[in-house]
Amino acid sequence: MRRLIQFLTKFRDFLIFLALQFLVLSIFFNTRNYHKAAMVNTSSAMVGWFMEKKHNITKHFDLEDQNAVLLAEVAELLNNQPESFYQLQGETYRVDDKIVKRQYTYLPALVVQSTDNKRDNYLTLNKGSAQGIEEGMGVINDYGAAGVVMSVSEHYSLVKTVLSDNIRLGVKSSKNNEYWFLIWDGEDKTIASIENVKRDIDVEVGDSIVTRGGMGQFPEGVLVGTVDEIISEDGNPLLNLNIKLAVNFSNIYHVYIIKNAFREEQLELENQILDLAGENE
Amino acid sequence: MNNNYVKYSLLFLLLVILQGFVINHISINTYINPMIYPVLILLLPYEINFFVMMLICLLLGFSVDALSNTFGLHAAATIVVGYTRPIVLRYIKPRDGYDNNMLPTLHDMGLLWSMLYCSILLAIHHLWFFIMEVFRLDLFGLILGKVFFSLIFTLVLVILFQYIFFKSSRK
Repeated sequence: MRRLIQFLTKFRDFLIFLALQFLVLSIFFNTRNYHKAAMVNTSSAMVGWFMEKKHNITKHFDLEDQNAVLLAEVAELLNNQPESFYQLQGETYRVDDKIVKRQYTYLPALVVQSTDNKRDNYLTLNKGSAQGIEEGMGVINDYGAAGVVMSVSEHYSLVKTVLSDNIRLGVKSSKNNEYWFLIWDGEDKTIASIENVKRDIDVEVGDSIVTRGGMGQFPEGVLVGTVDEIISEDGNPLLNLNIKLAVNFSNIYHVYIIKNAFREEQLELENQILDLAGENE
Repeated sequence: MNNNYVKYSLLFLLLVILQGFVINHISINTYINPMIYPVLILLLPYEINFFVMMLICLLLGFSVDALSNTFGLHAAATIVVGYTRPIVLRYIKPRDGYDNNMLPTLHDMGLLWSMLYCSILLAIHHLWFFIMEVFRLDLFGLILGKVFFSLIFTLVLVILFQYIFFKSSRK
């Protein structure tokens, strides 16, 4: 017993160090591997408030660019209005038997804080649970898919962007619906990659890669990026693709949060099947 | 003594705000990721209690984590710095020991000693930070690049900070 106490007092500092290190790193790796924030972050009420104050000062710096982006989007929407088409031929035959129900709602939000040079990059948005934001909602901007909501407070939400280690966004080729997971290796903020693509798939440089819409986070077909480079190694039966991301994460300001009305229903159904599979094992 | 508490508390606040709102936004490229806040741990008095120092490290790390969405990464690195600081101080001790009325600053200990002390501890801090952030052995080149380029910027910031906010303890 005395030996033990002697040992403990001798290595007291080191043991404290080990304990603290273990505590902190377990929080870090847990938050990283699951899509849930277990620690104070920029979406928390107090930190979020500070971020908003900072944002109130810095938001004016790139208003000109942001306005140009919004104008371009308005112009595109105007171009798609029925009034901007000249009718060449009258409606000869038409059956209107469509019944629709709204599935996706888009909520506008502003980015009050963002990073793009870390291993995992996050956006803080100025909308939270008071506006109906929940964990797992997809976030897009005018150019394409930006990330997924990870943590929500009353007035702020934290978005894990595509530039993160464990985002594993479900994507597919818009040409032939082959699907993969998007990963980011942390080096270049404009390039993400897709690994293990079969060689018999028809992929070319310039093909657009869109969201698969499988997790209920994004609608199907939101642009993620375009194929920039096809990497084939000798002796490897599989290809790797480099994807040029559509979103410029160093200049992101106006975003839309996507609310999927059927997401809960979909997850419930999928969990039922997972539970059944678990029971059979 | 009382005066010291106030001084270090104010420094703590200043450094967290500076890191969270100014220096986190210097994003030149993925390699350059400077940090100013470890300077607080570097400039604590020589004879500080180990528990108090660890507590300060933990608080400082978690505060910076809250502002930069790193969930414990900065805290892990500051704890390593807090633990290694006494060891490094013992190794680079001057011939006649440390004077407890002085601080490990540039003004009290000279530029050469200060550069050595800061670069050893900051290199440990950055190395641990980026190893844990990247956490992939095959990207060790990327880790070393990030450590090297961030370290240069951090050292410049740390030296500037000492020139601006500290003066010599000698009367």
